[in-house]
Amino acid sequence: MNQPIRSATLPSAGLFFKLASDSTIAPPPPTIAAKKKFLTFFFNWQLEIGNRMIPLPLANILHHKVPSALSALGVAIGVCMMITLSGLARGSLGEVADRWEAVDADLIIYPSNWSDNITTISGGGMSDKDAEKIKNLAIGDNTAAEYVVPIYLQRISIVGIEHNVVGVRPEDLRYLLGEGRITEGRVFDPKNACANWLKEKFSTPSEKIVDISEAELADHGGLEMIIDSRLARASGLKVGDEVYSAARNFTIVGIVPAGAMVRVFIPLATAEHLFYGGMGRYTLLMVKLREGVSIGAATEAIRRQKHLKVIAVGEYRAMLEDRFGVMYIYVDTVNTITLIVAMLFIMVTLYTMVIQRRREIAILRSMGAPRMLILKEVMGESLILTICGAAIGIALAPAAGAGIEAVKPLLTVQITTQWILIAAAAAVIGGSLAAIYPAWQAMNVDVAETLSLE
Amino acid sequence: MGDSEYILEADGLHKSFGSGQVAEHVLRGLDLRIRRGEFLAVMGPSGCGKSTLLHLLGLMSGTDEGTIVIDGLNTTGLGETGRAELRRRKIGFVFQRFNLISVLNGYDNIALSLRIRGMDTSRTGELLEAMGVKAVAHKKPSQMSIGQQQRLAVARAIAHKPDILLADEPTGSLDSENAEALLELLTRANRQDGQTIVMITHSDAVTEAAGRVVHMKDGKITNENP
Repeated sequence: MNQPIRSATLPSAGLFFKLASDSTIAPPPPTIAAKKKFLTFFFNWQLEIGNRMIPLPLANILHHKVPSALSALGVAIGVCMMITLSGLARGSLGEVADRWEAVDADLIIYPSNWSDNITTISGGGMSDKDAEKIKNLAIGDNTAAEYVVPIYLQRISIVGIEHNVVGVRPEDLRYLLGEGRITEGRVFDPKNACANWLKEKFSTPSEKIVDISEAELADHGGLEMIIDSRLARASGLKVGDEVYSAARNFTIVGIVPAGAMVRVFIPLATAEHLFYGGMGRYTLLMVKLREGVSIGAATEAIRRQKHLKVIAVGEYRAMLEDRFGVMYIYVDTVNTITLIVAMLFIMVTLYTMVIQRRREIAILRSMGAPRMLILKEVMGESLILTICGAAIGIALAPAAGAGIEAVKPLLTVQITTQWILIAAAAAVIGGSLAAIYPAWQAMNVDVAETLSLE
Repeated sequence: MGDSEYILEADGLHKSFGSGQVAEHVLRGLDLRIRRGEFLAVMGPSGCGKSTLLHLLGLMSGTDEGTIVIDGLNTTGLGETGRAELRRRKIGFVFQRFNLISVLNGYDNIALSLRIRGMDTSRTGELLEAMGVKAVAHKKPSQMSIGQQQRLAVARAIAHKPDILLADEPTGSLDSENAEALLELLTRANRQDGQTIVMITHSDAVTEAAGRVVHMKDGKITNENP
């Protein structure tokens, strides 16, 4: 019911600080009075608690829901991209480094005239003699090496993706699997019949040209392949499947857990035959030192062999990052551009909001709000948007990483606390910078002119 | 508080907008003195400089020439910080279009005004009740009636008990009933709390509430009716 707006509903201004009740009306019965008292208490309580002053920046954001949500989304995308792309670049390299560092060896030896980028080298640059020398290398009265694992590295395509394949003797495979063991299937022929047969073929003087058919090689167990579980999941390959690679049909005989040195293993003799065309040639020697032999002393001793280079397994990660670190620059540049775009988006949104709210800013100024308060309000809005966006981005990053790994199972997205903090800090700093110009505009609103334009 | 009998003293005020040939000289050497606790109505045709005068008296813009003394303090040469400080402590505004903050509800509009003044916001509910708008305190201004909005605007203007209340055609958007109620509020604020009121109006009826009426024309005070 509408009451006339007179003194009954419009108490005097003088009553502001001494609200006296009108006692000319008889008091209601106790039950009604109690109910009224309760309602009054409840209403006042609700007003005091429920209407607690909402901060103006938050009120503005809630009032401009769509542009605010879009701004926060822009930041969320930027932060999510930053965390995910960094995690992808660093995770993929880190995963390779983890796999090589998991090899049960201390040193990696390779020919001195070959590239130091041992992740990409291939071919038979080392010989039986080199392996023998390292095996017999003495430091003091004892040989330094507990064992030497010769491997043949080659890059081949399997189900459309390039992989490093390692040729390894069946008995040495366990050293390259890290903590893992064969989970499905078996290792290559433990008697190594294929290797013995190939050695015999290549050492027969009557045969000037060694001609070995695919069927012969397969019959002697030469076309066997072991893959890791990630490649198996990504490609759908399983034990018993045939896979065409290096112009041969290999049979998958075993699956090892992810974390092995490479994703694809074949018998060493097969690799030597297919990729070198002879026996006794290797790409790298993985050396496990005897207990008590220092890596430094062994490294020095090996470097005295003029035609050999050596790197400690523990240095592999640094070498990898040194070689491929340029990828980080690329990724970080993309991230920076993404964040800048997100911040420009915030700046435009805030600027638009400031332009739309010139009148309200002028009202605040007319009430004596200092410029610093206006600055704080605009900066506050930016920070709220940025923090919300960053929180959403951080929350989305693991899902984005999982999505990438689901679509491309061979990629690794490593989401780290360090990059979450970097992305959050970048967003907050960027959000603050983005607010400077709109805040400056807001601080300099002409109060009289703005309020005159009614 | 200064010792002068005048709370507002304006001497030789000049104010122009624009420059060169398009410059508009709005105030041309205006002099005005307003006593403490006075209720002054300013009348005049549109464009004569009433609102500009109010903005200058309210320190919302600077003069080209002339001085304004508020409560004994010469505001000439005061920077924006000093002017904002005076606005916070001594002045309240009521606008024709209310100028409430649209994104805040009634409660927060009052609370914000008190917060800006560094005052306790706990009595906001009390103020709203006193103005008869407590029931709509949770609503945004756009959800209130015109009369409720104007009462809220007045509550905001006098919440911090300013010495001077400047009102720019506060009844201009109201029907006669609401205008009358508003005028009563202002009158009581003037009489009971001793607030000095300077009100711009076009309404002869409104001037009846004022203790003094001045007329403006071409940027000057032309005559006064006591």
